[in-house]
Amino acid sequence: MKKLFLALMMAAGVAQAEDVLHIYNWNNYLAPETVKRFEASCKCRVVQDYYGAMEEMLAKLSAGAKGYDIAVPTGFAIPPLMKQNLLQGLDLAKVPNVKNINPAFMNSKFDPGNKYSLPYSFTTTLLGYNQNKLKELGINPDSWSLIFDPVILAKIKGKVTVLDDSREVFAAALMYNGYSANSVNPDELKKAQETIIKAKPYWAAFNGQSYIKELTVGNIWVAHGYSSDMFQAVADAKAAKRPFVVNYGLQKEGNTMSVDSMVVLKNAPRPDLAYKFMNFIAEGKNAADLTNLIGVGNPNLAAVPFVKADIKSIPSVFPDAQAMKKLQQLNALEGKQLRELNKLWTKVKTSK
Amino acid sequence: MAKNKSLGRWLISGPPLLYLLIFFAIPTLIMAFAAFRFPGDYGGLLPFIDINPESGKNELLIHAGNWQEFLTFENFSRFFEDTIYVELFIKSFWYAGITTLVCLCMSYPLAWLIARSPKKYRDLLILLVILPFWSNFLIRVYAWMIILGPQGYFAMTINQGLALVGIAPIQLMYSHFAVIVVLVYVHLPFMVLPLYANLEKHDVALLDAAQDLGASGWRRFWKITWPLSLPGVWAGSALVFIPALGMFAVPDLLGGTDGMMIGNLIKQQFLDSRDWPFGSVLSIMLTLAVLMMAGLGMMIGRGRQRNAL
Amino acid sequence: MHSKQSKWLWAAAIFVYGFLYVPLIIVVAYSFNDSKLNAEWVGFTFKWYGLLLHNEQMLVAARNSLIIAVVTSCCATVLGTLAGLAMHKYKLRILPILVLTPIAIPEILMGVALLIFFVMLNMTLGLVSVTLAHIAFCIGFVAIVVRSRLQGMDEALVEAARDLGASPIQAFRLVTMPLIMPGIIAGALMAFTLSIDDFVITFFTAGAGASTLPLQIYSMIRIAVTPEVNAISTLLMLLTLTLILIASKVAPSALRAK
Repeated sequence: MKKLFLALMMAAGVAQAEDVLHIYNWNNYLAPETVKRFEASCKCRVVQDYYGAMEEMLAKLSAGAKGYDIAVPTGFAIPPLMKQNLLQGLDLAKVPNVKNINPAFMNSKFDPGNKYSLPYSFTTTLLGYNQNKLKELGINPDSWSLIFDPVILAKIKGKVTVLDDSREVFAAALMYNGYSANSVNPDELKKAQETIIKAKPYWAAFNGQSYIKELTVGNIWVAHGYSSDMFQAVADAKAAKRPFVVNYGLQKEGNTMSVDSMVVLKNAPRPDLAYKFMNFIAEGKNAADLTNLIGVGNPNLAAVPFVKADIKSIPSVFPDAQAMKKLQQLNALEGKQLRELNKLWTKVKTSK
Repeated sequence: MAKNKSLGRWLISGPPLLYLLIFFAIPTLIMAFAAFRFPGDYGGLLPFIDINPESGKNELLIHAGNWQEFLTFENFSRFFEDTIYVELFIKSFWYAGITTLVCLCMSYPLAWLIARSPKKYRDLLILLVILPFWSNFLIRVYAWMIILGPQGYFAMTINQGLALVGIAPIQLMYSHFAVIVVLVYVHLPFMVLPLYANLEKHDVALLDAAQDLGASGWRRFWKITWPLSLPGVWAGSALVFIPALGMFAVPDLLGGTDGMMIGNLIKQQFLDSRDWPFGSVLSIMLTLAVLMMAGLGMMIGRGRQRNAL
Repeated sequence: MHSKQSKWLWAAAIFVYGFLYVPLIIVVAYSFNDSKLNAEWVGFTFKWYGLLLHNEQMLVAARNSLIIAVVTSCCATVLGTLAGLAMHKYKLRILPILVLTPIAIPEILMGVALLIFFVMLNMTLGLVSVTLAHIAFCIGFVAIVVRSRLQGMDEALVEAARDLGASPIQAFRLVTMPLIMPGIIAGALMAFTLSIDDFVITFFTAGAGASTLPLQIYSMIRIAVTPEVNAISTLLMLLTLTLILIASKVAPSALRAK
């Protein structure tokens, strides 16, 4: 018994002495081969913890959870983390590869001067669809009317899902009405809410969790979601030899874009490893791994040559300058605005 | 002797009391107190202690003169401002009630049969009831999504049957029906086990005596078995009804656009809108409602027992 | 019993077992399905089990879940049984409320509350914090079942034992405990089940690098839950069943429901 105890103590001691980098991240948001290469280069171990929704991560860090070095929040989540004093100021001199990052993604409204964050990857929020079905019905998927216009929806009733996310659904409805995705004007929000309530009876569900699968299986014909998820749905449908093609594209009224950035947490146990990791990821080849794995957009210019040609050519993954103009990042809302939106959303969800 | 008795009392009730005080009551009270605070602009709660910009040191911001800036009843008044919150409560109670009733009807015969089966099989039969629940919750719900989905055999069979009598196909997924079926499924063992634990102790001799006296099966059940099994019924109902009330994953995954229940609303406050105070208010209201119901149930239960004797 | 009645009972029982097992059969069957989609049957394969063997993270998470669930169910069973006895024997006011509230309170509030509490105590989050949290919400389930089992029990037996000179502990061990054993076992099984499957409270109380199986699986929900998860679920179920069968064979006879 004593021996066992000693062995356990030693195991624990060894585990502590070992160099470990803790990353708090989405699942499947870091290519395994990147991790392997990084572990070899830094002679340390990477331990990832996952969350299923960014709000979960925010709530957990707000409540004071410690032990993580790096997190990868979306743009509008950076100010809340910053304002709650949960982030460490970055010393970009320790990240020489920052030169590879596309200047268009640096110096964002969320973190002017990149004092806290370094762009990691981005997705667009758009519509994915069953191409065969839409062709059959003669519906054009290039407008938000596909999920908001009752005339069109009547043909695909019960075959549409939208994200279970108040920000994204309201942004889409605002853009459909010709407003800014970031509008906080009460009248415009009211109008967007009306649009949503009128369309809701035609939707099957608010679904932010299993729409990839539903689309691939063919239960759903139109899904509102993220470009990387649609990328996977297309690939899955192909791999499963489905009798139809899944496709996706941007909407002419505009789309939202989510840029995820790496941040170092204030109480990070190993900021030194965190810097090493950020510099490693900012290297073109390493950054490209992620895009090749899950089809996300990449803010790293040096990564582009390493990205597979068929991914590079997808306009909603790598939008050109023209398309870029129509993409908006969602603002970080203040508490009051967020609560107002929440009230509107609760009304939407409980409307009959 | 009296001293011994009170010592025994403390030995028995002390450990669970102490544990629940430390690892449940104290932490929860901190959050319950949050119901009277303002939400922080960017999540969490408006801090009581913050860095003073002049001195650069941490300072307690709240004092006797300015407590109104930190404490409020606003979060409670918001609850009554709009009827949708109360409506959601009623809807959730309705769903949880149906779930409990269906669970009870399904569990009673099963629990009875297990309790009456030969002793050496009982443990195995009970184990078989709970075995499916050691696989993962999400995977089980996904299995139901396959069964209820438009391409599942169950849905296809039902719709083929409907087509025979000329009724248009119905959608089983994303419906109230789907939510209830899965709610029943995930809570079923929590009804079967308490019922079994109760029915197992019933005296078969009592039933035999009743039979000898010529009582019919149905009458024997209502006059003897059912009243005796009431503690088990109450326990099972509590363990199904209360958790079902706060469930959010099932309505999220299967409820479609009308699926929202009180659990979803509470989760939304804590996560999406980062409004912990209102989330706490909703949680407190829910807990109070449950405790009041439990108190009422206990009173009714006691009354019944007295009547039965 | 009349055979007619008996037939109805059997039909009902078989229906309920069917209801319980049809989804489980799908879970197990799809762990052998040669399709990532988890949606329709394509063909038989062992490849998900093969992949699983190399998925260290998933295996460690499953091991963590099992450890937490075993410790939780042991502690919660002891504490819950005591609570059930106390509520039955003494007219207590606080304990019934304390037992019922953890079941009633929304999990997310309890999770956040416990996280804030552990941070205040400066406790390192890990398997221990998760276990402490799990015990807190499992006690109630055990206590309620044990109490319902005690209700209407013949007190005369215990008194008789005491009259015959048994100490209170002897009376408990020899009379009360065997009588309430089915309740205790039911409670323990429920505690184990709740613990091994909990997501919300675990999410908030788990520390960096101390993941459990539900945490792993929930994080996969958006990117598609692969049949690997079906495979680990199947294995975990079998392992648990084996452990329980072994435990029931080697357990002292006093612990068996006889």
